[in-house]
Amino acid sequence: MDMKMLINKIFAEGKKQGINDMEVFYSAGSSLSLKVFQKELDGYSLSESEGLGLRGMYNGKMGYSYTEKVDETSIELLVKNVKENATVIDSDDEEYIFEGSKEYKKVDTFNPKLEEVEEAEKIKFVKQLEEEAFKIDNRIQSVETCVYGDGYGETIMSNTKGLYLHDKSNIAYTYVVVVAKENEDIKTGMAYRTGNDFSKFSAKEIAEEAVNEALSMLGAKSVKSGDYPVVIRNNAAADLLEAFEGIFSAENVQKNLSLLKGKLNEQIGSEKFTLVDDPFMEGGLASRSFDGEGVASKFKKVVDKGVLKTYFHNLKTAKKDGVETTGNASKGSYKSSVGIAPSNLYVEKGEKTLEEMISVMDKGILITELQGLHSGLNSVSGDFSLAALGYEIKDGKISKPVEQITVAGNYFELLKNIEETGSDLKFGLPGEAYIGSPSLKIKKLAIAGE
Amino acid sequence: MLNKQVIEDTLNAALTTGGDFAEVYVEDRTNNGIVMIGGKVESTMTGRDYGVGIRIFKGFNSVYAYTNKSDRDSLISTAKKAAAAIEGKQGTIALSLNMTQNENINVIHIDPNTIEKTRKVQLMRRAYDTAFNYDDLITQVTVSYMDYNQDIMVANSEGLWKEDKRVRTRLAISSVASKNGEMQSGFFGPGASKGYEFYENLDVDKYAREASRIAVTMVNAKYSPSGKMPVIIDNGFGGVIFHEACGHGLEATSVAKGLSVFSDKVGQKIASPLVTAIDDGTIPNEWGSFNIDDEGTPSHRNVLIENGILKGYMIDKLNARRMKMDITGSGRRQSYRYAPTSRMSNTFIDNGKSSPEEIIANTEKGIYAKYMGGGSVNPSTGEFNFAVMEGYIIENGKIKDPVRGATLIGKGTDILNKIDMVGNNMTHGQGMCGSVSGSIPTNVGQPMIRVSEITVGGREGEK
Repeated sequence: MDMKMLINKIFAEGKKQGINDMEVFYSAGSSLSLKVFQKELDGYSLSESEGLGLRGMYNGKMGYSYTEKVDETSIELLVKNVKENATVIDSDDEEYIFEGSKEYKKVDTFNPKLEEVEEAEKIKFVKQLEEEAFKIDNRIQSVETCVYGDGYGETIMSNTKGLYLHDKSNIAYTYVVVVAKENEDIKTGMAYRTGNDFSKFSAKEIAEEAVNEALSMLGAKSVKSGDYPVVIRNNAAADLLEAFEGIFSAENVQKNLSLLKGKLNEQIGSEKFTLVDDPFMEGGLASRSFDGEGVASKFKKVVDKGVLKTYFHNLKTAKKDGVETTGNASKGSYKSSVGIAPSNLYVEKGEKTLEEMISVMDKGILITELQGLHSGLNSVSGDFSLAALGYEIKDGKISKPVEQITVAGNYFELLKNIEETGSDLKFGLPGEAYIGSPSLKIKKLAIAGE
Repeated sequence: MLNKQVIEDTLNAALTTGGDFAEVYVEDRTNNGIVMIGGKVESTMTGRDYGVGIRIFKGFNSVYAYTNKSDRDSLISTAKKAAAAIEGKQGTIALSLNMTQNENINVIHIDPNTIEKTRKVQLMRRAYDTAFNYDDLITQVTVSYMDYNQDIMVANSEGLWKEDKRVRTRLAISSVASKNGEMQSGFFGPGASKGYEFYENLDVDKYAREASRIAVTMVNAKYSPSGKMPVIIDNGFGGVIFHEACGHGLEATSVAKGLSVFSDKVGQKIASPLVTAIDDGTIPNEWGSFNIDDEGTPSHRNVLIENGILKGYMIDKLNARRMKMDITGSGRRQSYRYAPTSRMSNTFIDNGKSSPEEIIANTEKGIYAKYMGGGSVNPSTGEFNFAVMEGYIIENGKIKDPVRGATLIGKGTDILNKIDMVGNNMTHGQGMCGSVSGSIPTNVGQPMIRVSEITVGGREGEK
């Protein structure tokens, strides 16, 4: 059945049942993933999937439901669950259905060329990726994971206030994890690429990056515990920002779950720290013309030269604070209720290269990887204590590799202790948001080791 | 859940290009979730997941495809698309499906779908009130409730045809304590493979108080010391150490390809003789238990390590081929969107002989980790890390001041050999485990154990 017709039937049934305003969030997509192990395609998966979420105002409260059986047989249950769920809501915060913004800026998230790439070409690429990784150095004992994947998705947001938005995007990704072995010493290295331009993926380049990452860690040792000046490399700094971005959410602030409460227009970080949320960024994998409530996306500086300028808002939190929404409503999928998330969020880059930042340090640690980010930190207190990999810095140069250490500190303090931001802005793997950072030079952090 | 003819036609379509095994998995699942923040219900979600996964093997290679559509034409077209990834000629496989039933170990008394939402909210409110009123320092409490009803069907070209129902529910309480502009949190999240009867016997107030007590204790704590020292890890969720340091490395997912540090080590000593570790999916009504796994194999009790000697791995169908070993009822997946692979169920270190009092009294200096947070591991190198949620200093055989922000790091092979005391108070804790086949419910468990030396990462220098 035509989607518009199904949506109209849902709305008609909802109205009949006394639901005032309603909104449907429908998404559909397809995906392909290819995995190679020892020259053979040992994993191949493909999917076609869809789902539909309904939310509606019943007796002044918003109820949610969803289904993955997208047909008329689901209408009754969708409507019934919205009513039931709305009935138990007793939050005073007002959630409401949005009639639409005046203007939506177009973003380019779909590349038709990606849809034209032949499967045989993708298979050739991922096999080549494994081959290249083995070719570089005979200490590469195995290629643990070697994957290429891509996906296409489209979204329809339609509500009873007349809003009808449609969006489509596609993305390709590839990653490789290699295992290097020298005597009894085993190290892994990983590299990835994401984007919707297949022609930009170079198997050789990706393989080299992963292999270098693994080889350069061979012979790593722990260091003596103590406070060290630290450079957090771009990828690790982006991971750390991703783990803590919730502190900028107005929802967390209003619920007393962020220490940034009451800090608007105050200096919360060093002058080198500027944080940008740009939903229109070229090549941004979280680019979007509208947010999870259908509000037109906006560019914003969240932190400007260390000064906190705004929180991330959706309609509900904005109304509560008496401000305008920042267009940061999130709707992860048809299964999610409306929350808050950044789009393409990054720390603005500085002028110095990583080498230049290191060159002025007598002694310190370069952190290249942080582990256990889902458990080793407290996003409420800002405290973190994370297993890390990296290198010792000696006399302005990278010296020996370092493992079996933890790096500990507090994120709020870290923001104030940023002495330098590098010129090497890099983004992590995309999730609901796409988060990036250049390398950051931090005055000091506690390292635990020997 | 699907008619026999449709399943057979789908399996046949999947085998048209020379596959030597095909499987159809159907999932129909209703989910309920409620979130309460600050005593107010903030959001509720009810939904239905529905989809079909089709898997084909040829030798060691596998193909997986899924769709939300379950009509005959869609399934056959999906099976054919998947089959196109295999190169070869159709073999002769005579299909003869036979529906069989396994013993139900997770007996459900009250289907959570029959309980009104308002009753679930009442339960949450009780948890909220108890947690919030525990102490003046408690500034926020979040309570979340979930239940699900998952019906599955597995059928394969070997003639297997089974259906099963899994019902699980969990209540999670997260308390935040604030003092002098600092915040710390505490968490407790009991769950089970039970219906709503789970809450009839659950001391909700006890768990609510524990979550708040942890938060208050930690906001009053100083930072943990750093360096190598003996660490005592208490029972229950403390078993996350074994889960990370060793469990993942014993999953065929990494063992089969020779990528795990534990590959090819069956029969060898890999741990202290005090360590016996078991993965048991058959414990009635436990969070990580199931009647059949997602490949249709009945759950097993698998002894992984006995008195320090490696006895076996957790093995799924595909990896069993590569390893030339038997499957162990460990093929699990989050949903029809994932191909199953070897995963843990309820994994624990078995009881030893020491009493908890004895272990503490015999420890001169170190850290006592009362409750653990989560962690992660790199199975290729064995390097793991995990967070201590509530920790204390131990001095002269006594538990002293609380410490916060401690992380334990090490290598699995190393730590297993350094377990030098094992207590006699084994219990389980509930968690969600994320890996290649998605996020699945697992129990971790252990009695109190002592590790003679482990690197503790904190913010203060060595003491």
